[in-house]
Formats: sequence, structure tokens, C-alpha cells
Amino acid sequence: MSAVPAIESVPSPSRWPWLAEFLAGERHAWIFVGKSLLAIYIAAWLAMWLQLEQPATTMITVAIVMNPHSGMVLAKSFYRAIGTLAGSVCGLVLMALFPQQRELFLLSLSLWVALCAGGATLYRNFMSYGFVLAGYTAAIVTLPVISHPLHVFDTAVMRVSEVLLGILVAAVVSDLVWPERLRLLLRQNARRQFAQFIDFVRDSTGGSIPRAQMEQAHLAFVRAAVQLEDMRASVIFEDPEVHARSTRMRLLNQRYMSAATSFQSLHHLINRLQRSGSQSVADALIMLYRPIGVALSPEPALRHETTILAERLTACMTQLPAQAAALRVSLDTPTAQLEFDTGAALLQRFAAELRDFAALEGSLRGKQTRGSVEKVHFRRGNDNLGAAIAVLRTFFTMVTLSTFWLASGWAFGASAMLLATIFSGLLAASPNPVSAATHTLYGYAAGMLGAFLVVFWLMPGSDGFLSLIAVSAAFLLIGPYLSTRDTLSGVGAGYTLGFVYILALKNPMVYDPTHFFNDAIAQVAGLALSGIAFVFVPAVTGSGWQRARQLRRLRELVALAASAPLEGLAWRFESVSRDLFQQMVTHTRPGSAESRSLLAWGLAVQESGRAVLELRQDLADGHRVPAAVCDVITLALQAVARLYLQPAAARWRETDAAVRMAIGAAAAMPAVRQHLYQLRTALHDDESPLASYIPSSIPSPLPESGNAA
Amino acid sequence: MPHEVAFRGVLLPGLLPVFLGCLLLMVLIDMVVGRFGLYRHVWHPSLFRFALFVCLFGAAGLLLLR
Repeated sequence: MSAVPAIESVPSPSRWPWLAEFLAGERHAWIFVGKSLLAIYIAAWLAMWLQLEQPATTMITVAIVMNPHSGMVLAKSFYRAIGTLAGSVCGLVLMALFPQQRELFLLSLSLWVALCAGGATLYRNFMSYGFVLAGYTAAIVTLPVISHPLHVFDTAVMRVSEVLLGILVAAVVSDLVWPERLRLLLRQNARRQFAQFIDFVRDSTGGSIPRAQMEQAHLAFVRAAVQLEDMRASVIFEDPEVHARSTRMRLLNQRYMSAATSFQSLHHLINRLQRSGSQSVADALIMLYRPIGVALSPEPALRHETTILAERLTACMTQLPAQAAALRVSLDTPTAQLEFDTGAALLQRFAAELRDFAALEGSLRGKQTRGSVEKVHFRRGNDNLGAAIAVLRTFFTMVTLSTFWLASGWAFGASAMLLATIFSGLLAASPNPVSAATHTLYGYAAGMLGAFLVVFWLMPGSDGFLSLIAVSAAFLLIGPYLSTRDTLSGVGAGYTLGFVYILALKNPMVYDPTHFFNDAIAQVAGLALSGIAFVFVPAVTGSGWQRARQLRRLRELVALAASAPLEGLAWRFESVSRDLFQQMVTHTRPGSAESRSLLAWGLAVQESGRAVLELRQDLADGHRVPAAVCDVITLALQAVARLYLQPAAARWRETDAAVRMAIGAAAAMPAVRQHLYQLRTALHDDESPLASYIPSSIPSPLPESGNAA
Repeated sequence: MPHEVAFRGVLLPGLLPVFLGCLLLMVLIDMVVGRFGLYRHVWHPSLFRFALFVCLFGAAGLLLLR
């Protein structure tokens, strides 16, 4: 995420290449620092000019929202605005319900904040900010006026105005001043994804790909699909043109995913045939595969020209059936013919999907888009239990703080609560919350120290807004600068927040050291407590326990494919399986045994799930399948689903028997039979994770082949 | 249009509905312009959009609330 797209300079041979690189990075960082400072001061000035009560709230909002990419800021701002409105309404309702009962009020506020923190963990884009903000605004609206319930409405209006002003200023500044376009990055990524996939397909026409290489390719394909979706969700806020193409981009990603699944299934089939000794069938399939490779290889300059590729693929597809028939003649046994037919059907499906993918990519690269396309969604695989634990943890933090506050009569309890609210939400989604909390705490303390110097040494002599900028800018810019460093971003964010918050800019300014220190202690206590809570109730994100759960959910997807209503199920299956897979793999070390095992499961689930879906499509849209056969096939599908839910040797035997019976029953329906056969070879794959459940004495490869002809 | 609008007993500035209306209008314009890719002919698309919004909001506010 650190591309510098806009500079179109001619690379001159430089004497010190490291210096040029260093300066380019610094330029990037300082533009961000400049934008942040500009936005913060404009926000402060506007807040004072509009006579809002606490310009500090506006400044903090800007500090939280600023991000180097403008698409990110707009996306963040949009969800923040929604979160702010929801939170302020909730704060008002709670205050109206319990104006006199402080215990009940704090209990329900804690619950609200906890629910918001849980919601934040469910989303991986900026919608999670919306949830954090919904919690934070409810607290910020009600806590300062907890002793004067009658003022709550006025405060709510004030706080909402301040927060929304901050969002507006941050959005406008980051979009207008040296915007860093995420759109360029998105376009580059989409093109790279397309080129990589096409190249991989072309280079693998030799037939066999080693499993390890296939796993790496799968990993890359999945990452590309998920990243593209993440980016699309942010860029639509940045660019109206991307927004207009959003539906199409979603469909593109879905087509990409299904083409990748078919591709893998095909290669697994060929690999299996080679290993099980059916070399002649594998060779015939590789021969049949070659025309696709030829179609993808026009002269090198045109290799990634989508329209040309799509045309060539269409031409290739019309020839495939005839070529398949010619190759089939050379195979003598019915088993070999069934094996070949399965592969040929898969290959034609793959060619069709690849053509659709290329054609859609072509229409997206054009200047205009015409007509409308099917609406699809990228579904996410969320872990509800992880969210429930976040809810529980935040609830304990908030209840502990409120109890302490009520019991001790601590005058600055509200500040501590507020900080705990913000950071419980922000940290809940972080992969390593304890270290993130520690970093933020250091930054926060440093920021408050900086603010102390500014407030009590420099500011008393200053007069007017310009001298305010002059005395505080040097200290303020440390925060945004640190947050552009990869390792120190937590410290930087903490510094900015701590500095701006404790500076508590007002018009006219109040200088009160006692208040300053009391507030500082309370804020540090709140922040520290929200970090400590992670020690007692650990975060589940990235833990081995969560991975085990996600793996189970991944396997359950096969059962979902076998039982859920078919409408939109194919898209859902492809996206959820990839999202879950991506989540699991990001927290494992590449190449470790665990990572290999997850990859193997990912591939197996994708192949079997897709075959199950194709079978169900066959059963649903053709009425030619007799009811008796339909029942046998359904039994086989249920057996596969059960096997994936709880893999065991006994279940594997049951499943294998059920699928064999279904293949026998479906003798008259070639398409169904091929899908069943594919499912069966997937079961027998000795490199899939199911291999450990295969009994040592496997029945002969294809006992029913006599019924086939 | 009145300078203040009562919404369920709460007085809101009359500019607020105008602002929301202009936002809505802007979304519609963006949809049309984005579909035909017309922002490519502008030097600084976001500055253009911002300026367009200021014009819309300024004109609507001045015309409706004067």
C-alpha cells in the first residue's frame, strides 16, 4: 500500500540511488504530514469560528480519520458519519431512559459500547470504524453531562456538529490537496491479477503442475481476489467512475474465482490420472488442453489484450467438442472414456469461464460501460464467536471502570471511560492487541508530554490563531510523521490523539495545570485498562483456536453447497471459502506444516464443493433425471457433506460407496455421471487431506465401469 | 423557505435540508457522469466535484433562503 503513482519523472542515472529512494519515501511522508496538519488547523479554526464548545473534538476526529489514501479517508468518513449519528441517537435514548439511575445508565452504556466493539470485529474494511464510532459517540455525548441530564440534548447536538465538521474537513482536504489515488492502485492490481492468471494458465499447458506449485498459485489467486474486493469497497467512495462500474467489478471477481476453481479441478484431475497409471487419458486431456494455450498466445504484444483473447477463446471453444471426439476414439476401455469425458467437460467449462472473464475485463477497460450485468456479492466468512468474545471483554472493561468511578467518586472518571471506549473498539480488530495497546500508550504519553510543553510554556505568550499554529505545529507534526513509518504507526496515532486531546483547545484558552494532570492520569488509566483487558480475555483474531474454528467452517461449506437453496449459492460458496481461507492463512507462517495443511484443505473444499454445486445444478434444471436416480444422488451428496463435516475413515467408506452407487445409477446421464466421477476422484486423491482417511485396501479404481457403456 | 425547520419539535437550520438535497443531487450527477467517464476530461476531478458542489449548495441556499 505504498505506491507513489503520480510522479511521471524520467529516471535519470543517479549517483546515489539510495538517496533518491529515501527522498521519494520522505516526500510521501511529508505530504501526508502537511495534509494532516492543514486539516487539523482548518478544523480547529472552523470550530472556533462557528463557536462550537470543544474544538478539540473536531481536531481528534480529523486525527483519527486522516489516512494517506484519499479513497480510504472518504470511505472512513462515510461510515464514521453513520456511526456518529447512530451513537448520538443511542446516547440520547439511554439518557432519556435512565436520567436519575446512574448504575442502570452505565450498565446499558457499557452494553452498547461492547456491542459496537463486537460489531467492529466483524468487518475488515472501514465499516468497523462506523461501529467504533457509534460506541464512542454515545459515550462522548452522555458522559460529560451525566450530572446534568437536562443538558444532554444540547451537548449531543454540539458533539455531533463537532465530529461531523471534523469528518468534512478531513475528507475535503485529503481529496483536494495532493490526493493519492487508490484508483490507480486498484487498476494496476486488477490488470496484474488478469495478466498473472492468464500467464499461469498459458504456461501450464504442459499438463502436470506439482502440488506445491499449485498450492502457491492458489494462495496468490485467493489473495488477489480478496484484496481486489477490499480495495473496491474503498475506491467506490473516491471515484464516481469506479462507483458506476462497481457491480461489474464484483462480477469480474466472481468470474475470476470460478475460473480459478475450474482450473484447479482440471489440474487435479490430470495429476490424479497420471499418478493412478491412466497416462493415455492424461495425455489425451493435455492434448485437448493445448488449444486453450494456443488461444492465449497471440504475438507477445497482444498477450494481455482482453478483446483479442476473448475472441480467440470463443473460436477455440467451437472447435473443442470435435477435437474431444477425435481424441476419445483412441481410448478403448469404458473407464478411460469416462475419465476422458469428465476431464473434457471440465475443460470446456473452464474455457467458457475464462472467455467470460476476459470479455468482462475487456468491457471494464473500455471508456464506457453499456447495459447492466448480474448483481453478485462478495460474501465474507465471519466468526460470530470471536465477536462475542470482543463484546464480553469490552463489557468487562467498561463495567469495571464504571464501578470504580461510582464507588470512588473519581471526578475524572468520565475521561477514563471515554478513552477506554475508543481504544476497546479500535484495538479489538487488531491482530496483536497487547503490543498495539503498549505502543499506543507510549505514543499517547509522549503526546501528552508534548502538549504539556506547548500549553504551559509556549502558548501563554502567543496571541491569535497564527501564533497558535507557530507554537504547536512543530510538536504536532511528530505524530503524523511517525504514523507513516510501518513499525511506529501505533505510536504515531497515539501521539497525535494524546497531543490533540490533552491540548483541549478552547476559545478563550483555559490554563489549569491541576485539571491537566488529573485529566492526563484518567486518560492514561482508561487506555491502559482497555489494553490490560486483552491480557485477561485474549483476542481471538489470529489465534490457533480461531483457525481451527475457521477450518471447520471451511469444511462446512461443502455441506452448505450440498444443502442450501441454489439461488446465488455458487457465488456465495466461492467468495466465502476464499475469504475464510485468506483469514486463516494470513496468520500462519508460509511453508509451515500448518500452512500446508490449510492450503490442502482449501483446495479440497473448493474442488469438492464446486463439483457438488454442479451436480445440484444438473438435478435442478434438467427434469430428465428420474426420481429414483435423483434420490441416490442426493444420498451421495449428503454423504459427501457428512464426510467434510467430520472426516473419519468409516465415513469415507460410506461416502465412497454412496458415490459409486450414484455413478452406477446415473449411467444414462453423461453430464451427471461426469460430475459424480469427478467427485469420486477427488475423494480418492492421495495428495488431498482426505487421504489419511482412505483405508489401506482401496477397492479397485472403477468397479462399475462395466455398466458405463 | 423558512430559515428554521421544526422537526418533531426540534428546530433545525433551514440550510440542512438544502444541504442534504444538494448531496443527493451530487450523487445523481456523479452516477451519470461516472457512467460516461466524463470526469476524465477535467484536470482535477475532485476539485471540480467540490467546486460543483459549492456552486450547487451556494445557489440553492441563496435562492431558497433569501
